[in-house]
Amino acid sequence: METATRKKTNTKDYRKLIIDGFVTHLLEHGSMPASIFKFAKELDMKEEVFYTYFTSFEGVKSAIWVRIFEDTLEAVATQEVYKEYAVREKFLSFLYTWIEELKKNRSYLLILYQDQATAFKTLPSDAREFKEKFTDFASELILEGKETQEIASRPFITEKYDEALWLQVAFVFRYWMSDRSANFEKTDAAIEKSVNLAFDLMGKSALDSFLDFAKFLYQTK
Amino acid sequence: MTEKLREQGSIPVSKVQRAAKFISTGAKVGGNYVKHYAKKMVNPSMNKEELHQNNATDIYNSLSELKGSALKVAQMMSMDKNLLPRAYQDKFTMAQYSAPPLSYPLVVKTFQKYFQKTPEQLFDFFSRTAKNAASIGQVHQARKDGKLLAVKIQYPGVADSVSSDLKLVRPFALRLLNMNERELDHYMEEVEERLLEETDYRLEVARSREISEACDHIPHLLFPRYYDALSSERIITMDWIEGKHIKEWMETKPSQTLKNQVGQALWDFYHHQVHHLKQVHADPHPGNFIVQEDGTLGIIDFGCVKVMPEEFYSGYFSLIKPGLTKNQEELDHIFYALDFISDQDTDQEKMYFKGVFTEMISLLGKPFHVDRFDFSKDAYFEEIFRLGDRISNDPMFKKSRQARGSKHGLYINRTYFGLYNLLNQLQAEVVTTKPAWLS
Repeated sequence: METATRKKTNTKDYRKLIIDGFVTHLLEHGSMPASIFKFAKELDMKEEVFYTYFTSFEGVKSAIWVRIFEDTLEAVATQEVYKEYAVREKFLSFLYTWIEELKKNRSYLLILYQDQATAFKTLPSDAREFKEKFTDFASELILEGKETQEIASRPFITEKYDEALWLQVAFVFRYWMSDRSANFEKTDAAIEKSVNLAFDLMGKSALDSFLDFAKFLYQTK
Repeated sequence: MTEKLREQGSIPVSKVQRAAKFISTGAKVGGNYVKHYAKKMVNPSMNKEELHQNNATDIYNSLSELKGSALKVAQMMSMDKNLLPRAYQDKFTMAQYSAPPLSYPLVVKTFQKYFQKTPEQLFDFFSRTAKNAASIGQVHQARKDGKLLAVKIQYPGVADSVSSDLKLVRPFALRLLNMNERELDHYMEEVEERLLEETDYRLEVARSREISEACDHIPHLLFPRYYDALSSERIITMDWIEGKHIKEWMETKPSQTLKNQVGQALWDFYHHQVHHLKQVHADPHPGNFIVQEDGTLGIIDFGCVKVMPEEFYSGYFSLIKPGLTKNQEELDHIFYALDFISDQDTDQEKMYFKGVFTEMISLLGKPFHVDRFDFSKDAYFEEIFRLGDRISNDPMFKKSRQARGSKHGLYINRTYFGLYNLLNQLQAEVVTTKPAWLS
């Protein structure tokens, strides 16, 4: 029975099979598969089939990050109100949904990234592709924010805003990993507060007026 | 007092930031004192009103940015009008109305967490912005099956931060309330217990239902219905009650008959709870009451309910027995029972505090000593404030090492001050019913 269903999916989507198989292996063994050969054998699959889709386990891990991101975007898009949101709310909504998607994979993520020392080495490379996609998403938000005047245009600094939002994502991830509160309520609060802070900083503030004034004094002196 | 509430920029995140917030306020308050004395050197006629005014503004601004239990403490202090000078009161009563809102995505997220559905999927209509702020959350308006509903959503993480927030408020309370540390800890415990209860929305629904059913027979009262299927640990759905807050209602210039009717309903509501249920809606601040056009009083928010132990109840309410102040022996007995005085006091202290408490009781018990009491008389309230001011500034009172009064009294006092105040706002004259066992 089990082989029958597996066969079916085999013909359909090897890529999905590999990703799911990888997650299952990690969850059950608590560590990465010893080799691609062994892993492929576990899945009843020839090693070369694996190489058609991925070249290494790093590639699989990267694909998982991207999948979580894409699932998030999809889930966000199903919410009717999303389109009516201001940029700040859109980003909040993204993070809240992202955390939900992460929650589905929490054990997997904890196995891989709980140990700070190894996470420090592996996380940046594992999440590189996710970061690229996220940066595209963030740039769009920022552009929209500039149009709606939610985000102030400042020479040089504005170009780094997508980077800033990425740092925020990283912050939220780390906070969530170590969150011990029931229902991850603290993470919710952390998201709310940190996003508000970020958007307050990016919005027009007294500092802009001050710089403008300083520039004026300097130039007209 | 017309300045607008400052738009909330950010809410301080960590405990460190919260602490920093309090420290900066502390510094400002200190600064205000320096300013005050500097000005006073130049102009000796200056009074302390302005100083209190400045302090109140700084403290309020700080507290209002720390949504959650700190705000709750501000509310508590604003209720204890007898303890605080006037300027603090006005500012703190503002804290009862507005607090920074939760973002809509967080509201959506909270719904998804508890119902696996968005508010739009759950209701036919759901307001994007909050209609009212509650101290630890906010209220949205919704519609389902043609019925208008109020949906209260709690801010995430409030329950966790209650204890640490109270620790942060402690030094402030010490300074503001003129209490010594021991005295304060005696009460803090009680406050913490109530606050934690208040974050439990399941408990709130259960209690609301229990009390509103028990008070169902009282005329001119209206309680919302609660919907279990649409409520959870962090969300409460109930009927939306149309109407105005007491202050706004008073501006429509209702007739004296109508004012008395509302006042009487309020009195009867408390009378029944205190003397029959022995548990009481201990949060009588104006935001929890809604008056409808025909003079029906809607009561919402049963977050804070104080259950009275029997021995406290009988002791406390013996105090309003007519002619008690003349019976020294019985009075002493009650004072001991309620921890007003103890054997650790010196004879001098005993004398002093007996005097003070007797004076307080005869003043605060006044409405109970007549059949009808007119709460519109401001002179009565002036008298209470003056007594409060005088006592709290008395060196004898300040240097007392002892905690005074049972901790159960904290919320009961607050309830009665709140009730008196509401009745004063309503300018109502009510029949002050007494429990049968007292007469």
